[in-house]
Amino acid sequence: MSLTATGQRILLSDVNLSYGNHPVLRGLSLHVDAGEIYALLGGNGAGKSTTMSALLGFARPDSGTVLVAGHDPAAAPDKAREQIAYVPENVALYEHLTARENAAYLLALAGRQPTGDAIDGAFEATGLQNAAWDKRLGGFSKGMRQKVAIAIALLREVPVLLLDEPSSGLDPRATADFNRLVHDVARKGAAVLMVTHDLLSAADIADRIGFLESGRIVDEASAQGEERFDVRELHRKFAREVVAA
Amino acid sequence: MSAVSLIARDELRLMRRNRVAVIAFALLVLLTLAAALISWSHQRSIAETRARFQAQASEAFEAQPDRHPHRMVHYGNFIFRPLGPLAAFDPGVDAFTGNSMFLEGHRQNSANFGDVRQSSLLVRFGQLTPAFVLQVIAPLLLIFLGYGAVARERERGTLRQMLAQGVSARALILGKLLALALVAALVGQPAMIAFLLIAGQPGALAGPMLVIALGYAAYLALWAIITILVSALVRRGRDALLALLALWAVLVILVPRVAPDVASQAHALPTRLETDIAIAHDLHKLGDSHNPNDPFFTAFKERTLRQYGVTRIEDLPVNYKGLLAVEGEKLTSRLFDDYANRSFAVQRAQSGLNDGFGVVSPAIALRRLSMAAAGTDLEGHRRFLTQAEAYRYDMVQRLNRLQADAVSYANDTASDAGADQRKRISAGHWHEIPPFRFKSADAADLVKASVPGLGLLLGWLILAGLALLPVARHLQKARS
Amino acid sequence: MTLIAHELRLLLRSRMAALALLLVALLSCAAVVAGMAEIDRQRDVIARIQPKQAQDIASIAQWVDKEKDAGSAAYYSFHATWDTPAPLAFAALGLRDVAPYILRVRALGLEAQLYDGEAFNPELALPGRFDFAFVLVYLTPLFVIALFHDLVSGEREAARLRMLDALAGSGRHLWARRVGLRGGLLFLALALPLSIGAILSHVPVGQLLAVLGLVALYLAFWIGVTLLIGRMRWSSVANAATLAGLWLVLTLVLPTIAHVAINRVIPVGQGVEISLAQREAVNRAWDIPREDTMRAFYANHPEWKDSPPLTAAFHYKWYLAFHQVGDESVAKKVADYRNAIESRDAAAHAIGWLLPSVGVQSLLTRLADTDMQAQLAYQDRIRAFHKRLRNFYYGYLFTDKPFGKADFDKAPKFEG
Repeated sequence: MSLTATGQRILLSDVNLSYGNHPVLRGLSLHVDAGEIYALLGGNGAGKSTTMSALLGFARPDSGTVLVAGHDPAAAPDKAREQIAYVPENVALYEHLTARENAAYLLALAGRQPTGDAIDGAFEATGLQNAAWDKRLGGFSKGMRQKVAIAIALLREVPVLLLDEPSSGLDPRATADFNRLVHDVARKGAAVLMVTHDLLSAADIADRIGFLESGRIVDEASAQGEERFDVRELHRKFAREVVAA
Repeated sequence: MSAVSLIARDELRLMRRNRVAVIAFALLVLLTLAAALISWSHQRSIAETRARFQAQASEAFEAQPDRHPHRMVHYGNFIFRPLGPLAAFDPGVDAFTGNSMFLEGHRQNSANFGDVRQSSLLVRFGQLTPAFVLQVIAPLLLIFLGYGAVARERERGTLRQMLAQGVSARALILGKLLALALVAALVGQPAMIAFLLIAGQPGALAGPMLVIALGYAAYLALWAIITILVSALVRRGRDALLALLALWAVLVILVPRVAPDVASQAHALPTRLETDIAIAHDLHKLGDSHNPNDPFFTAFKERTLRQYGVTRIEDLPVNYKGLLAVEGEKLTSRLFDDYANRSFAVQRAQSGLNDGFGVVSPAIALRRLSMAAAGTDLEGHRRFLTQAEAYRYDMVQRLNRLQADAVSYANDTASDAGADQRKRISAGHWHEIPPFRFKSADAADLVKASVPGLGLLLGWLILAGLALLPVARHLQKARS
Repeated sequence: MTLIAHELRLLLRSRMAALALLLVALLSCAAVVAGMAEIDRQRDVIARIQPKQAQDIASIAQWVDKEKDAGSAAYYSFHATWDTPAPLAFAALGLRDVAPYILRVRALGLEAQLYDGEAFNPELALPGRFDFAFVLVYLTPLFVIALFHDLVSGEREAARLRMLDALAGSGRHLWARRVGLRGGLLFLALALPLSIGAILSHVPVGQLLAVLGLVALYLAFWIGVTLLIGRMRWSSVANAATLAGLWLVLTLVLPTIAHVAINRVIPVGQGVEISLAQREAVNRAWDIPREDTMRAFYANHPEWKDSPPLTAAFHYKWYLAFHQVGDESVAKKVADYRNAIESRDAAAHAIGWLLPSVGVQSLLTRLADTDMQAQLAYQDRIRAFHKRLRNFYYGYLFTDKPFGKADFDKAPKFEG
């Protein structure tokens, strides 16, 4: 599947998922198209990480449809995961390998053999400073780790990027850098789904924002014009519908 | 209440609530009791068996008919090494040494029928005794219960919190140590109670028992300190556990195995065959009784004749063959002693080198102390061998003198049809030979023998205790 | 770069893993070297005694030659027997440190000689020897635990597990690769020094392969146990503690309990009973008519019954005959004693099916020919040799053939 093709890359339709007797997702529906950035906003326990699990094939819905680039993650997790680059909240890579070695190893696990130049190019694109490329990850900041993870995602050339709380723990400048990077990835044609509770960051880069509460989307906002979102309005909604719940 | 005791109470509460810890502790107590029971009944049956055999052998000896005394020299006697009361706690080398010995004239036999040669290979996996449980397994329990004591606080960030609230790292470490030391005391208690029940009979050896109790207490305290030390030094609980397990494997399992190899390569022990040949050779050099012109025996003959003021052997008032036997036994026996001492000197050097590894491994120091105090070490076996040889010599010489005094030379050298009957003396003489009584070491000797081990252990304890100070300082400054 | 190469780099970058593998290799090397040194020493001792033994016989021959009495020759000549270590003995010293591998016998009663021990320091034997079998049976599981206890849980705790699972195509292969790599390296660390030692010691290829197979199986057992525990999804530290506890039970506690149980269930009528009974039988001969002894002897050994009758004078053929009759009178006790020891041994082997530590130790010592069976086989060889010795001397004694200096060379030679 080519990165530039348009169309629905992520689809959740009327998904119900419960852990034992405890329902977590209750009729969740959302879709993310190629080249689009979707921010899923929600408080604690709204179902954000369960949504991620369902997309990655770690949790099986009781009903509804989940499709990642046309594959059902519950039925064919390997097929779905092949299409996904996943950046967890705390990027955990191998501390005793260098940035380059991490990239080479993890890509090899994913069945790819990028050239050294390609890895360099990806690091360049993420803005990871040159000096860090051959340093062990042990001393990296969270922002630097995220850059390595994004570089790996870029090199995998997959159509779907899942970001789990990407801005938590980043300083404003690192957040801005990161957002720009995600933006570039989306412009190349990837569908990006980020779950977050950072409203400002979401407003900064998302094309659409979904408010998740008790396992379903209770409201959705789309970016419009130069201002994109009315942040104050968003904040009101967030406080009323999400946090208050 | 002071911070130290508060911390200790908290740590103990945590252990009590940890089901796995409680189960492990209970299992160890059960194992200790089982070991004590098994060991006690095992030692008792050994003691009974040996006593029975000893009685049977002595009876058989006294029941021998009228005989030529030299026949009795070769009939000989069997003796058995009795077990001391403390052997049920630590049987030491008992299974590895022969426990019965055949004593006869002009031969020094080996002690035979050690357990190790009539048991399956399992005997080499160690023996389930209270000493084994305390030496090998109890430290492992302390490690399991204590590896996280400080590391856990550090990992979870509670350490910073405590330090911020003004609890000193020293108090923290002491509190944790106090808790673990209490556990150690509890761990050692069942073994000690069993020990008292087994060995604490009237007339028991109070001194050695005290040394043993002291030694094991020091050993367990040492492991408590080591556990806390590592827990405080290592950043993560898992690393503390692995480091402690590695340390335990090296100190308790590996070094005690490597040390004997080094010792036996450093001090080679001659084989029995070589010793036997060497003794025969030396004996031959001293004098050849088969050679009528041998200078040594010619001189002996002349000396004897002069002493009695006669010119012919036949005129002697005593049986010359008996005198010759006495003289011969004196010669061989001196050589036996000489070679036994040499062999023992080598073994002592081996053991000394082995014990030297106690500087590296407290388990070796404790084993030395424990066996020495229980009288079940090499020295204990040596004591048996020495007394056996003394008894053998005395028995043989009594019989030889009977030959000299009670059998006439004429009868002794006759070979006519009735000569055999005339050479025999009354069976009553056999009763005059006292039975073998093993004189066990007295308390003072056992205590003295266990002092080096105890010294090493206490040295370890002091060193480990001192190491707590810089570690506490280090912890005080630790950031995470 | 292949995935295996990546994994290898990842593994060796971890200080603990690299250290653990290095330590296994070092311990394995040290054990092989120590074992070979000990076996070399034993071979040297066996070689060293030969000239001394020859000298000893020569000096006896000198004076026996004067009277040419075969009885004196039989009485005074001790003949050496020895148990040459098998090529593989260095890997598992077994009982060779506590049971004699050299024993001198003469043509008198064998049962009073067969159980003699060698001079050894029991304090050194007590903890057991440091050989390859020890490294394999006791220490290797600890290294397996160190290398495998956090195989999955470590990734989980580092929060990498999801990412690894999410990386498509990894699936089970990732873990299979990691298990294979760690297991393979451990195996190499153990097997390489052993194989070098085996080649230097001229161990037959088939036997070496059997030992290597045993090493692989034992490793597989412990890796399997760690993986099973890993499936419980506990923390790394809980895994490590559980596994160490299991190791303790399987290699230290259960074997010692099994030892007590076996010795309880299968009593060995003390070997000393043989010695006591044999001594009674032998010494009684002096108090009964000598003809009785000779009759009993000829009944079992009719080939000598045409020998001239005894006179009033002492004759060594009577002396040796009553020794043999003494031996024969305790044959039943000897058989019982041996059977009991063999059943104890068999019971331990049976327990080896339940306790891998015991199983591996017993198989290794069997392959190395250093176990109880090897000891008993050595005793059998001594028995066979002793029989030849007796027949040799009887050939002179019962025909009153003079025994000269040259005859000493005709004595049977023990073949080690």
